[in-house]
Amino acid sequence: MNVSRRKKSIIQAVSILSITTLLFGCSNPNEGADNKSDQDTLTLAWPRDIGEMNPHVYNPSQLFAQSMVYEPLVHYAEGGKLEPFLAKSWDISKDGKTYTFTLRDDVKFSDGSTFDATIVKKNFDAVLKNKALHSWLGFISKIDKTEAVDKQTFRMTLSEAYYPTIQELAVVRPVRFLGEAGFPKNGDTSKGVEQEVGTGPWVLDEYKADQYATFKINKNYWGPKPKVKKIKVDIIPDAESRVLAFEKGDIDLIFGEGAISVDAYNQLKETKSYKTTMSEPVATRLLIMNTKKKQLADERVRQALQYGFDKKTLVEGITSGLEAPADFILPPNLPYTSNLNVEKRDFDVKKAKSLLDEAGWKLPNGKKIREKDGQPLQIEMMYDAAELVQKAMAETLQSEWATIGVDLKIVGVELPDQVQRFKDNKFDINMYSNFGAPYDPHTFVNIIGTDGFGFKEAISAYPNKDQLLQEMKDVLKTTDETKRQKMYAEILPSLQDQGALVPISYLKKMAIYQNGVTNFKFAANRDESPFAQIGIK
Amino acid sequence: MGVYILKRVGSVIPILLLAILLLTAMIHLSPVDPAEAYLSAAHIQPTEEVLAQKRAEFGLDQSFLTQYVTTVVRLASFDFGTSYVSGKPVLDEVLLRLPATVQLALSSLLLAIFVSIPLGFLAGIRKNGFFDHLSRGIAFIGASIPSFWLGYLLIFFFSVQLDLLPVGGIGSPSHVILPAITLALPLIALYTRLLRTSVIETMREPYVLFARTRGIRETIILGKHVLRVAIPPMLTGLGMNLGKLLTGTIIVETVFSWPGFGRYFIEAIFDRDMPIIQGYVFLAALLFIGSSLLVDLLQLAIDPRIARKGGDRR
Repeated sequence: MNVSRRKKSIIQAVSILSITTLLFGCSNPNEGADNKSDQDTLTLAWPRDIGEMNPHVYNPSQLFAQSMVYEPLVHYAEGGKLEPFLAKSWDISKDGKTYTFTLRDDVKFSDGSTFDATIVKKNFDAVLKNKALHSWLGFISKIDKTEAVDKQTFRMTLSEAYYPTIQELAVVRPVRFLGEAGFPKNGDTSKGVEQEVGTGPWVLDEYKADQYATFKINKNYWGPKPKVKKIKVDIIPDAESRVLAFEKGDIDLIFGEGAISVDAYNQLKETKSYKTTMSEPVATRLLIMNTKKKQLADERVRQALQYGFDKKTLVEGITSGLEAPADFILPPNLPYTSNLNVEKRDFDVKKAKSLLDEAGWKLPNGKKIREKDGQPLQIEMMYDAAELVQKAMAETLQSEWATIGVDLKIVGVELPDQVQRFKDNKFDINMYSNFGAPYDPHTFVNIIGTDGFGFKEAISAYPNKDQLLQEMKDVLKTTDETKRQKMYAEILPSLQDQGALVPISYLKKMAIYQNGVTNFKFAANRDESPFAQIGIK
Repeated sequence: MGVYILKRVGSVIPILLLAILLLTAMIHLSPVDPAEAYLSAAHIQPTEEVLAQKRAEFGLDQSFLTQYVTTVVRLASFDFGTSYVSGKPVLDEVLLRLPATVQLALSSLLLAIFVSIPLGFLAGIRKNGFFDHLSRGIAFIGASIPSFWLGYLLIFFFSVQLDLLPVGGIGSPSHVILPAITLALPLIALYTRLLRTSVIETMREPYVLFARTRGIRETIILGKHVLRVAIPPMLTGLGMNLGKLLTGTIIVETVFSWPGFGRYFIEAIFDRDMPIIQGYVFLAALLFIGSSLLVDLLQLAIDPRIARKGGDRR
């Protein structure tokens, strides 16, 4: 090939490459900035599509988005206080069965229609059409009758007393209120709604499945108007991509539980270019020891395992301060959970070893694992393989307990497998976290006392288990506030002291936002959106 | 030849039936009850009553054989059932997201073709030259960097540092550049090297030497004799990888927030949304089988002796 031919072929190749580049690069370089927010719009990243804006359905609808559009009768405020909301007051009959709500008279739906007792009843009746689906929420299956007494009075009669009713009315779904125009002809909202008409501060403005959703202010909102005019939710499924979009400035706010990795959170925090904040504890991370298993049936072994690891170092080391070491099985900021008298079991290797010796698990000469009747002290712990914190904690416990002569096998499983194995009682130790506000403590004691959730079986070696189970049933029916407080003060410490439920850490929500974002504050309700008072400078 | 084609097309049916058998077995092999997974994903504590109701609704209370036959009949009429999670027909969910996936896959395929043909060709005709080294470098990177990592690197460099391209999403042509490069790079790596080898081998063929001795111009030899002969094997490889390309979008779509079906599939796996998983796996199987069939038929068109050889074997 002579020189001119060679040049020609190179020129041809370069031209082809240039055309390719042009073909794919024919864009406005500023296009990437189209997401950048202005002072009126708060843009946040969320891992999943917001789902259907229907107040009466579950997955894949996202709780935070449902709570932006639809509102409850009762508001769950800090410290577990239940405040009036769409209902300005309520009256509970002495037998604890009849609830009479006086509704606010200044509330309108986003389409201008009136919020009154008739529409409240219609929503309740739509929910009750699918009673079985919603029966996980205790009061739903106990509703006997609903009445619109007059325009501002709604009455609900239960078949038996159930104290957490008011607390359960504060949850995000399924009892929030859809306007008349939203109802399908047959009244069954479980298959979909006609329009997303709610009383909340926001209305859905634009929506592209799996891409984004924007919410604008509800002009008819009865409460204080939000400070920003729009909320844009960008759907970014990958946590690292969320961080990159935030760093680029496309996103103003990332919040939630495990919204980004611990490392990424701390890295962004250390740059000091952004603001970061953590919520109050929303739930407790627990170890559930299955007392049906021979090794764990002995309380001394369960206690030894608690003395056998350094909780503070474990939690701080693994979560870098994103979670706090937990002393109680439920966070103390929930109702009836503070000032409980529980035995503290701090890191004490000597005590752990002596308890194991006492329980008959001796360390044979030259061996590293304790034995009893020729059987080694082997215990298996399962964890959610997708959750890095659980994995790291399981690994740390494995090495900590090895020093006291316990052979911990750790098994990473997928979350649905973990739930299933827990329910089927096929585990030695499981990692679990409770529901949090506004579900606990009543939901927690309810599932512990119910067959088929794994807990009832797990605590089966407790000598006082029958009494405990009865108390857990009774506490939900108690109408006397003082008695209820007393009962929880007995149930919760007893569950914890006997060592099958071991508190590890308090889970918290994280938030990271650009410097211009002001007044960010987490909602007390774990599932609610925190946008009410946010502003942008 | 007609018999060969009929036989080849007919062989697709048992493969599909086997695929559906595996799909049905998937539900039974998994330790997780889809009804339960659905309820846990919705933060509902499942009661026995609602579990039984959901199982009946999903058809999980029927025998394995009934489930298998029902699935075959359904899929034969392209009825993929209803998503457990959204309650919408699977086909609607697929059709809503498939265009985005096809757009990404096609862009990557075009990019792979436009880059690997000139690069592989230049690397072949100039062995150990600049383009050969370049192709070797690209092949090394393309084969060794995982897609998600490459995706992050590209986003970090082009979006965060240089602010040239969007981090993710869909909408303008600029949104497709980074995901297409991420998805195309392993293909470019593979096809550049394939074409290079093919070009080098063709250049050694006697007819190329003969053409040279006849004094034919080098550009004509390279264009008419070498490239035309070297490209078909590469295209065959491309065809065979079509299915891989579409399924490969799963990770890229997640990293680049691309609203395609691959990403939706990941969510379906976490939710144990069996109809979506079955629909996706069935479509992927169809695509793999279809593209392999297409390649066979293409090869037959190029070389009709294949049918005779096939006949001899039988």
